[in-house]
Amino acid sequence: MTDPSETTTAAIKPRVPTRFLRIPIGGRFRATLVDAESRAGPRRGKINIALWLSVGWLALVLAGAVLAPWLGFLEDPNRPLAGDPELGPSWSHWFGTDQLGRDMFARSVWGSRLSLSIAGPAVGIGVVVGGVLGVTAGYFGKWIDLVVSSVVNVALALPALVFALFIVTVLGQSYVNVTIAVTVLSIPAIARIARAQALRFAAREFVTVAETMGARWPRILFRDVLPNVVPALASIAFLAMGIVIIAEGSLSFIGVSVGSPSITWGNILAAGRGRLEESPHIALTTGGVMFVTLMALNFVGDELLRRLDVREARI
Amino acid sequence: MLRFIGTRLAQLAVVVLVVTLLFYWMLNLLPGNPCVAAFGGAATPEQIAECEQDRNLDDPVIVQWAKWGGDVLTGDFGKSYLTGRTFGEAISNALPRTLLLLAYSQALALGAAIPLGLWSGYRQDSVGDKVVSGGAFALLSSPVFVVGLVLILVFAVKLDWFDLGGYRPISEGLVAHFKVMFLPAVTLAVGLLPIYLRLLRTDVIGTLQEDFVGTARAKGLPVHRVLLTHVLRPSSFTLLTIFGIQAAQALNGAIVVEYLFDLDGVGSLLVSWVAAREYLLVQTLVALIAAVFVTVTALVDVVYSMLDPRVRRR
Repeated sequence: MTDPSETTTAAIKPRVPTRFLRIPIGGRFRATLVDAESRAGPRRGKINIALWLSVGWLALVLAGAVLAPWLGFLEDPNRPLAGDPELGPSWSHWFGTDQLGRDMFARSVWGSRLSLSIAGPAVGIGVVVGGVLGVTAGYFGKWIDLVVSSVVNVALALPALVFALFIVTVLGQSYVNVTIAVTVLSIPAIARIARAQALRFAAREFVTVAETMGARWPRILFRDVLPNVVPALASIAFLAMGIVIIAEGSLSFIGVSVGSPSITWGNILAAGRGRLEESPHIALTTGGVMFVTLMALNFVGDELLRRLDVREARI
Repeated sequence: MLRFIGTRLAQLAVVVLVVTLLFYWMLNLLPGNPCVAAFGGAATPEQIAECEQDRNLDDPVIVQWAKWGGDVLTGDFGKSYLTGRTFGEAISNALPRTLLLLAYSQALALGAAIPLGLWSGYRQDSVGDKVVSGGAFALLSSPVFVVGLVLILVFAVKLDWFDLGGYRPISEGLVAHFKVMFLPAVTLAVGLLPIYLRLLRTDVIGTLQEDFVGTARAKGLPVHRVLLTHVLRPSSFTLLTIFGIQAAQALNGAIVVEYLFDLDGVGSLLVSWVAAREYLLVQTLVALIAAVFVTVTALVDVVYSMLDPRVRRR
């Protein structure tokens, strides 16, 4: 296939048209726009390996976080002198030990437990609330849309961490309050994407058909619009999870998350900051785990978005 | 154009009023007397009376807020009842540090993102593009405190190229200043760079399909001229929009970076006030930050409309 634009500049590719593909969602077939380019080409096989590695890693981290109290080989994360103080990583202590001789691998796993138990509910609530707000605004338009999008735009223009700090200051440092603070942060971004998706599908022919046939709005919203927005929301949930983990990590890094005896990824790193010269492994191991986890979350989220062809996702 | 700016300014005023009122009101959700809370229970009755007088606690919240707004507009930002230090003193010390940090990091991020974004968009799907995009993706997944710790470990602890341990103003010499400020600026820029890079790359790929690019190449202009003069400007609109939003995100990062590098900027100030339960100062600072960022976003909108006249007609 020769295209005139190819002869002028070799690196410029012709725009590949999007086409309709039918993919099964919830046992029924629904039309979803998929970028034709993303379905073809030699890159697919490689991408899938990375995708499954990411999913595998996330499953591993999740299993560790959930099962931490029942894992026999895991040291007690708070027991001093589980090994000599400030040992580097070794076979018996995978992540080494800190200055009190506590096992860093156990602390890392227990840290994931608290960090994920804040991020999980925060994203869950954020997706439901943000999804409802966004879909309502996108489908009904008019003043509802005006109100929701102005609030969302203002909220996005504000530095989120400042307000998380404020919320935690006013309410106090506890598990519930930190969860509330990071949930509030995740809602505007999710609502914005849900709205963009709902707008796209509200204009589609099957919605017009349903309206012409006299279907009432709850039916259209739940049977026609929502099922098409849900896959996008699911992929956004992965990205939002990453953002919320970073937000909670930042809060506990500066010492404003859940109080001191609790272990979070953020406060392990804060402790590692003071020992950077003597035992850099404290910060590097947990930092590495956090980095790989965030990368896996972003990768799965991005890949889903790409397959579903959701735009505006990264804004 | 003037009408557009006027409308935006009116919207801006409303938003600033609502946002500050919201944060002002939130503190009143605390059980009991905010003045008692501000002292953490260690105040004399006179101190509390002074504070109550200052804060007009006898009035309804909306009147308190209006009087507070009047004070702020006339330059009276209140003070710490614990230390006697005024808000103005604390801020005038901290603000230049934060502004410099933000300016350096934005300059670094844009300075790297524009050439890299243009190039990897132009060489889409080449090996170089894949390396750049993959790198951007990895950076996007790195929390600012992890990046900062790694940079400190490598460049300050192991190699000893840079200094830690507090801010040095430019007046102490440029070398001393940048030995302290370079790592924090890089740490913050690392968070901004991939966002700018990815956006610019996507837009460049779109712009390269326009006819005028083909024309420019056909005229015999070298590739770098085409990219810099014909492709960059139409590709920079999304970048500019995101710049406003990223200004807010950059402050998130700045809070952590200032804490990590002991810079004592606005972020550190906020964190220390939060730790000391200086509720009233926290409230004023948060309300002011909100006002500043809403204004920045509005200004970006105006600049955007100057660059792209189509926006004004919406």
